[in-house]
Amino acid sequence: MKKFTWVQPDNIDEAQRQINAVTATIATGKTIQGAAVIKAGGVDLLDLMKENIIAPAKIVSINALPGLGKIGFDEKSGLRIGALVKLSDLEENAEIKKHYAALHESVSHAATPQIRNMATLGGNLAQRPRCWYFRSEDHKCLKKGGTKCFAQEGQNQIHGIFNTEICPCVHSSSVSTALVAFGAQVEITGAKGKLRNVPLAEFFVSPQVDVTRENILERGEIITALTVPAPPKGQKSWYIKQAAKESYDWALADAAVVAQMSGDTIKDVKIVLGAAAPTPYRATAAEQLLRGQKVSEKLAVQVGTAAVEGATPLAHNAYKVPMFKAIVKECVLNLV
Amino acid sequence: MKQTEKKLQYQTTLIVNGKTEKLTLPAWVSLLDALRHHLDLTGTKKGCDHGQCGACTVICDGKRILSCLTLAVAKDGSEIKTIEGVGSKENPHPLQRAFIEHDAFQCGYCTPGQICSALGMLEEGEAQTLEEIKDSLSGNLCRCGANANIIDAVTEVKANHYE
Amino acid sequence: MRKEKFPIGIPGVNLREIEREVPVTEPPAWPINDKLKHVGKSVKRTDAILKVTGKAKYTADINLPGMLQGRMLRSPHPSAKILSIDTSAAEAFPGVKAVYVLRSNMSGAEPKGGEDNGYPEIKYAGQAIAGVAAKDGQTAEEALKLIKVEYQTMPFVVDMDEAREPGAPLVFEQQVEQEETGGGGGGAKGLEQQGNVRGPSTKSFFGGPRGDVEQGMAEADVIVEGIFRTQVQTHSALETHGIVADWKPDMLTVYASTQSTKGVRSEMASIFDLPESKVRVICEYMGGGFGAKYGAGNFGVTAVNLSKISGQPVKLMLDRKAEHLAVGNRPNSWQELKIGAKKDGTLTAIKQESYGTAGIGLGAGVGRVAQAVYECPNFLTEQYDVFTNAGPGAAFRAPGNPQGAFALEQLIDELAEKLGTDALELRDKIDNSVVRKEERRLAAKAINWSRRKKPGSDTGVIKRGIGVAQSTWPRLIDIDSTAEVRMYRDGTVEIRSGVMDIGTGTRTILSQIVAEELGLEPEQISVKIGDTLFPNGPASGGSKVSGSITPAARNAAYKAKQEILKQAAPKMEEKAADLELKDGMIVSKTSGKTMSFKDALKQMRTSQIMTSASREDDYGGFMVGTFISHGDLGSVQMAEVSVNTETGFVKVEKIVAAHSCGRPLNPMQIQSQVNGGVIQGISYALYEDRVMDKNTGHMLNANLDQYKIAFSMEIPDIEVINIEEYTARSSTDAFGIAEPANIATAAAVANAIYNAIGVRLYELPMTPDKVLKALNLV
Repeated sequence: MKKFTWVQPDNIDEAQRQINAVTATIATGKTIQGAAVIKAGGVDLLDLMKENIIAPAKIVSINALPGLGKIGFDEKSGLRIGALVKLSDLEENAEIKKHYAALHESVSHAATPQIRNMATLGGNLAQRPRCWYFRSEDHKCLKKGGTKCFAQEGQNQIHGIFNTEICPCVHSSSVSTALVAFGAQVEITGAKGKLRNVPLAEFFVSPQVDVTRENILERGEIITALTVPAPPKGQKSWYIKQAAKESYDWALADAAVVAQMSGDTIKDVKIVLGAAAPTPYRATAAEQLLRGQKVSEKLAVQVGTAAVEGATPLAHNAYKVPMFKAIVKECVLNLV
Repeated sequence: MKQTEKKLQYQTTLIVNGKTEKLTLPAWVSLLDALRHHLDLTGTKKGCDHGQCGACTVICDGKRILSCLTLAVAKDGSEIKTIEGVGSKENPHPLQRAFIEHDAFQCGYCTPGQICSALGMLEEGEAQTLEEIKDSLSGNLCRCGANANIIDAVTEVKANHYE
Repeated sequence: MRKEKFPIGIPGVNLREIEREVPVTEPPAWPINDKLKHVGKSVKRTDAILKVTGKAKYTADINLPGMLQGRMLRSPHPSAKILSIDTSAAEAFPGVKAVYVLRSNMSGAEPKGGEDNGYPEIKYAGQAIAGVAAKDGQTAEEALKLIKVEYQTMPFVVDMDEAREPGAPLVFEQQVEQEETGGGGGGAKGLEQQGNVRGPSTKSFFGGPRGDVEQGMAEADVIVEGIFRTQVQTHSALETHGIVADWKPDMLTVYASTQSTKGVRSEMASIFDLPESKVRVICEYMGGGFGAKYGAGNFGVTAVNLSKISGQPVKLMLDRKAEHLAVGNRPNSWQELKIGAKKDGTLTAIKQESYGTAGIGLGAGVGRVAQAVYECPNFLTEQYDVFTNAGPGAAFRAPGNPQGAFALEQLIDELAEKLGTDALELRDKIDNSVVRKEERRLAAKAINWSRRKKPGSDTGVIKRGIGVAQSTWPRLIDIDSTAEVRMYRDGTVEIRSGVMDIGTGTRTILSQIVAEELGLEPEQISVKIGDTLFPNGPASGGSKVSGSITPAARNAAYKAKQEILKQAAPKMEEKAADLELKDGMIVSKTSGKTMSFKDALKQMRTSQIMTSASREDDYGGFMVGTFISHGDLGSVQMAEVSVNTETGFVKVEKIVAAHSCGRPLNPMQIQSQVNGGVIQGISYALYEDRVMDKNTGHMLNANLDQYKIAFSMEIPDIEVINIEEYTARSSTDAFGIAEPANIATAAAVANAIYNAIGVRLYELPMTPDKVLKALNLV
């Protein structure tokens, strides 16, 4: 790693001031030398620095900022999770386990127990992709300001099957797969305490808009909280992560289904695929099929097929198509 | 020390195995390197330095973490327990005794990390079944393949000391 | 010489006695284990407490006064000429004490002839170029970036299939050679080289071709054949390769993470033109090797040079990326295998053609298993090495064998199916190994083989299956294995050897053997190993440590016993021949008089007794060269798997591993070794794969999250069956097991998958995408 200075302010104004004129957060992906980055848990930050993908001159730790470490839930307003809440705290939270099963499941299988003790929710949402070309200092890819995407003609077995034309990486936050399905919102604090709330689905930026970044955070903006709507009566959810192995592994395919049930009938549903596209992918055609229907084995199979409709797999990842079919089907069947 | 170099040094206090250690170090030194080089506590091992193998697991403020992905300066004031603080030859921890009984190692390089991870797991108190125990230890690589005996050792300690 | 009776055979099967002629200096024959006190018992490891308290010092932990931190500069290009290197800025960087540029590449094949402009040619991304030693790692890393290298990049090829094509970029312009090492790696001299393809080698361990393979095929009633592929696997030891080099005018001391202390010493002595007596190599604890940690290495040569230049000790440990790229791997394979048999199962011919890439090295052969496991009069293997611009291969736990077994054992299963015979019954017919027959019987019982259903007949999405595979391994011996036993007046008993403990428990078995011989407890024996100041021991490889060093250890202890009894006899007014050592006492067999062993030591004539002994010849007079003892470390493994036929995910539910290693010295440690081999075998079968980008020439997963190794969730229920097999070949009759444990696993898993889903997988690793393809779902 290159040398850097360190500061840990105890209020957000000071933090934003420290993120100085030539700022880059790891979230926006601008890798300007001499810039400063925000450190929460630091898990992805240090990995990127050790791989020589980014080299900030200053690290501004936000771990001492007050009020960002709580989980609050009530039946009316739903869930509010401070951005500095650790994944392990999310995993242990009884209300999340009870009311947001898919979120609990996605958090429990993220990374490893040790990493869950270190990683924050905010950092998890802002983490950069795992594409091995992006993570390799030997390949200057489009996302890093280069002129070529190496995955298109290269080893793309871990890449996406939707929206693959420009940058076929997949977003790496499996927790986001569940959160998008729950309709979560991100609270972002900008300069002078200005707040904005953005649906998580719109927080992520696709390569068409800007291939060098993955989310909408602007210079100096800090994720401060994530909110999830209160669970309506009859909400059921399920999440499956399919990886090459069960221990510590990135998803090859993950899916979350959140449904509003009325008895056995699905009134409304969101189906989200992770590890499928550069941003969490809403399988809207599949959702259409399910709305107003009763769950059955036959319907679940059809929903699985609809979920991968329009997929454009690459040379080495066509296996993801049947894999998604299978896990979406399983998720649907587990709603009842 | 040059002035520019002085500016890059930070006073950091770590309470390691109950002993207060005042260190002056650059921000880029990982907790792992601080333990191994600055405090000569070489029990905690470096396996990959990227948070992917668990060999560097220590207990920090009661929670097991990866010291290679932790900056020492970020843990100013924290309580760190390393393998050296878990138990000794004269007074081994039940986990250390169980590891010996079950031959839960071969080359022994992953062992400090496994023990600290298992200790963290037992203190967390979440994992109950065999599958949950295996899942909870799934952040620690044992390339020699002693996992089967590690799982046996940890399961036994849980049954005898943490139920 | 004298005549002596020894136990021979398998208890419960065919145990009997045999008379051998052995040198008079040999100790008396040991009975079978149940009559021994410490040998054959699960004694806790001598070094256990050090490992669990973090006190064991590995090379990475060594700190010497004034020690500098070393870092290596490695090539970012897969193929290049170095036009110039300017180290002046690095040398001037504050805190830097030495910079060294490599003038030759230590690893891989050597071209014969060719020009030398002073710098080695770059032949793979990650190849070592230079090293820097500085006051701390950060300084060294910054200084590395100041080394200016001018490269002329050249065409490269990293994919084996592409490298075989005519017109492919040449990895070597010239003919190359690489000395064969005992462990695997290197190749026979003078083989034909066309483009990047060198071979064929028709040899494998047990010799060359047999009979007439075309004739044999013509005689066959039934033929099975297939093309199989296996992947490149990296050793991924948890402690990376590394060294602490301390160059002093009168002694070069090297702390090396190595499997062979004597090997590193002789290489260093040769490279630095020193007598071996002025080179000391120490390896007390090592964090895994699996075959990759032999020799000085580029990093070793660099570190020693940095120490020489700076006058200070230098520690140089590789990082994880370099560990994947530059210090060894198991070559991949493409194998075409054909087996002919009669209707009754008798094999008539086995024909094999294989290609494999060991990067810029040699040693990708896979023929051992096909040649040696089954009775077959006609056999031919033609093995080719294919050069690619990738890191050199190195011996990896049973080199060539897991690859060969994956193909052979699947075709044997296919043959059984074609003949309408059970897979075990066919093996009973064509395999004349007594040990494997017993192993098959016991393993079948343990896994309940009768549960096995017809292939693919399980209902439901998740299908289960059971499979079997077998292996063979020679009993390798290193005659240059010597142990020294010392007894001191203060009561200390010590055993010393240059052998190092790779994690198998060598320390402990040495203590058990000396304790057994001297009537003491293992904890009372001080074991000093892993230092070339002690007499040479075997390298920890080839599964040869137990077979090589334990007879020497016993013999040295026996000599020490005779010496102390000779000294004690007059004091006890007894004849030395009437005395024995038991439970810490010297006891007269005739009068019952006793003297404490400790007292006898206190009264020694001199302050210490030192005896030493080396590995003697095989008792049965059987040696191949000087290094194989008669007998086969054969094994049988059975796997039970469940396959999700919608996601392609395979889970290994259970493994039964039946093994034999002669006289088992420590059952607990043997079980650990087998567990380890099985787990590595599962990891090889299902997850591990070096991913190379053909277009850029780089390894894409040089880390531990995308290079997938089995962690705890992947561990199945493992049942180890260890058969005692006495063969009366040495004073301990004990042999190794580490490599046999790793050979058959992937093949057993593959056969189990076939049994589960009714479709065969011909390529490793058997990841979900391959299973889905085989099921026609992709």
